[in-house]
Amino acid sequence: MLDFHGIVFAYRAAPALGELVSHRTAASLPFCGRYRLINFPLSSMMNAGIRDVGVIMQRDYQSLLDHLGSGKPWDMSRKSRGLRILPPFGLPEYHKGNYAGTMEALLAVSAYIRDIPQKHIVLMLGDLVANIDLQPILEQHLRSGAAITAICADHTPAGARHRFVLGEDGFVKEALYDVKDGEGLSSLEGYVIEKETLLHLMEQCHAHNYYRFHRDGIGLFLAEGGKMDVAVHEGYAEMIHSVEDYYHASRDMLDPAKRHQVFPADRPVRTKNHEGVSTYYGEHAVSRNSLVADNCIIEGEVENSIVFSGVRIREGAKLKNCIVFRNCVIGENAELNCVISDKDCSFAPGTVLCGSESLPIVVGKGKKI
Amino acid sequence: MKKTCIAMLLAGGQGSRLYALTQQAAKPSVPFGGKYRIIDFPLSNCANSGIDTVGVLTQYRPLQLNSYIGNGQPWDLDVTEGGVYILPPYLGANEQGSWFTGTANAIFQNMAFIEHYNPENVLILSGDHIYKMNYADMLREHIEKDAACTISVLTVSLEEATRFGIMNVGEDGYVNEFEEKPKHPKSNLASMGVYIFNWPKLRQYLIEDDADPNSSKDFGKNIIPKMLAAGEKLWPYRFQGYWRDVGTITSLWDANMDMLSTTLINLYDPEWPIASRSPICPPHYTGPDAEIIHSIVTEGCEIDGHVENSVLSSSVRVEKGARVHYSVLMPGAVVEEGATVEYAIVGENTVIGKGAHVGAEPDGSDSWGVATCGPDLNIRPGAQVPASAMIYTSEEV
Repeated sequence: MLDFHGIVFAYRAAPALGELVSHRTAASLPFCGRYRLINFPLSSMMNAGIRDVGVIMQRDYQSLLDHLGSGKPWDMSRKSRGLRILPPFGLPEYHKGNYAGTMEALLAVSAYIRDIPQKHIVLMLGDLVANIDLQPILEQHLRSGAAITAICADHTPAGARHRFVLGEDGFVKEALYDVKDGEGLSSLEGYVIEKETLLHLMEQCHAHNYYRFHRDGIGLFLAEGGKMDVAVHEGYAEMIHSVEDYYHASRDMLDPAKRHQVFPADRPVRTKNHEGVSTYYGEHAVSRNSLVADNCIIEGEVENSIVFSGVRIREGAKLKNCIVFRNCVIGENAELNCVISDKDCSFAPGTVLCGSESLPIVVGKGKKI
Repeated sequence: MKKTCIAMLLAGGQGSRLYALTQQAAKPSVPFGGKYRIIDFPLSNCANSGIDTVGVLTQYRPLQLNSYIGNGQPWDLDVTEGGVYILPPYLGANEQGSWFTGTANAIFQNMAFIEHYNPENVLILSGDHIYKMNYADMLREHIEKDAACTISVLTVSLEEATRFGIMNVGEDGYVNEFEEKPKHPKSNLASMGVYIFNWPKLRQYLIEDDADPNSSKDFGKNIIPKMLAAGEKLWPYRFQGYWRDVGTITSLWDANMDMLSTTLINLYDPEWPIASRSPICPPHYTGPDAEIIHSIVTEGCEIDGHVENSVLSSSVRVEKGARVHYSVLMPGAVVEEGATVEYAIVGENTVIGKGAHVGAEPDGSDSWGVATCGPDLNIRPGAQVPASAMIYTSEEV
């Protein structure tokens, strides 16, 4: 789609994600054995033919930069434009603290937004697990003539915060803030918006020192009588704001029906490709109801777990209800239950570590236990 | 810029002894060892050895090979001055040119490509060998020994030697005789079909050989003997390590089974990665009833059945109650509920229907062999495919 430009918000790291975001933002959280959360919006945009995308980040972005590279996996390494990394520029206040809201994040890169040559901009979250089919949404946006089309869920995701109530004409009548349930549709905080409209809202918010996109920007737009449409994403969508959100969404991927909604064959999720070997299962290996990436050597037992690339599970080790990031080593006869282990950790032989389904233990990057 | 060494990879032949597996694609693009295609091994060896210019000579069904190699990016061969090129036969002015008539002729017809890079040496490789080799070591010896040609050799047993081209060496260590499949071998140094030639010398021999009407334009049969006869220095480079020719169904199956043993060939070695172009699929899923023993499984697979001693490429599905033993399943193969696949190779995207039975355990008889189903087939439910069978079409069974 030639007349659309993408913006991904990758600056957030909800405090409830704890140690998982101690050296990264939520957008670069590893997910489902080989992906990062930001792969979802980037792949949605790629699959809809969007090639120019700005990724807004503010701090702790080294992991994200490593992952994105030149944007090649998403066909966004182009001679002109393509993938652009957008750290804050402009006012010094944008470098301090954290962006108070999405509108402030947009204001911090306002020069970039002014230079966007396309007429429409697609705004998407970097910490949402959903394979959104943008193509029909963009077509609907062009057809309806609305200045904004909001992407909504067909259910109420755990971390969802905002809702839209529709009027009789099918357009948005009211936007509700911080309302979880009740009438209307749950917002996935994704928007297709005309560039001029966005610039106008940014200007207004800047002038009034407003910083929230939904409350302030959309509120202003509706107050001015703007026409706003909604498009419903059918299928899996969960926001990742806490360790529990992350743990549940990860384990949802063990359910074939949910997994196939997130990874359909015709709209693949692209990620940075690591060199790979197939995974080897030893003579006494057991793997049940689990997702296991390439490059692993499994000699022990894995159950209800997600195992990332390069993990070694030695003989006699038992892994239950765990998520194990890249290059971890689980020693002989170690037993882990309800553990999320960040990358490069090693667990000595015989270690026993047990969390609970409602409170999984998070082991920070590179720990030796 | 002058290159020290460029590589020419002979990927030409159909690989007719792989029968159904090479009906639609040339041998080098046949899937291998879960993650790979055969050509990944020589290409990765080149990249890891610092050789950044590779010509791939092919004249049989190049579509898959072409799209697989692409710009060479997976092997880091997407460089500005060099890179990987597919070189098909072509006609020049006055319709000069033809199909490649032999290995040496393939190089002769592509002299312009080599001249463009004007290398000091040319490495000649085959597209059907599985091995990890540092060509830079071989090149170093080639230069040190001031050889016109260095031939990589394996030490084999004297019985095996009758199946190979054998190099006999003199007291000075240089090759003084070459015998193709000798009945009574005098040495146990077998040629691997990997050569480094001094380019100006090779160029001269290629031109002379082309003018010889009695020549079959082959490196082993013609060029090497001619160089020996002319008193050129030929040096044997002794390769140690895993090396397999995978030109037949049995050897392809054997070599795949070897991938289950890291002591034979370690593919997990970060110092010598074998790269491949692979589709990006989710990790493989093992269902509640899955059993996987002594096997390799690749991303995108969905396993609910019993898998033992087998090699599963990407996106293979083994349904509930299905059994896969001592088999090689190429990308996208499906084994439906209750079906059994044993001692078999199943081609890409082939579906083995419910309750079907492909292959059989060895029974000690001479007629026993690995069963093979070609790519894109539908083996009907309940079908029986016996040992040694070679299935080309869905209608056969």
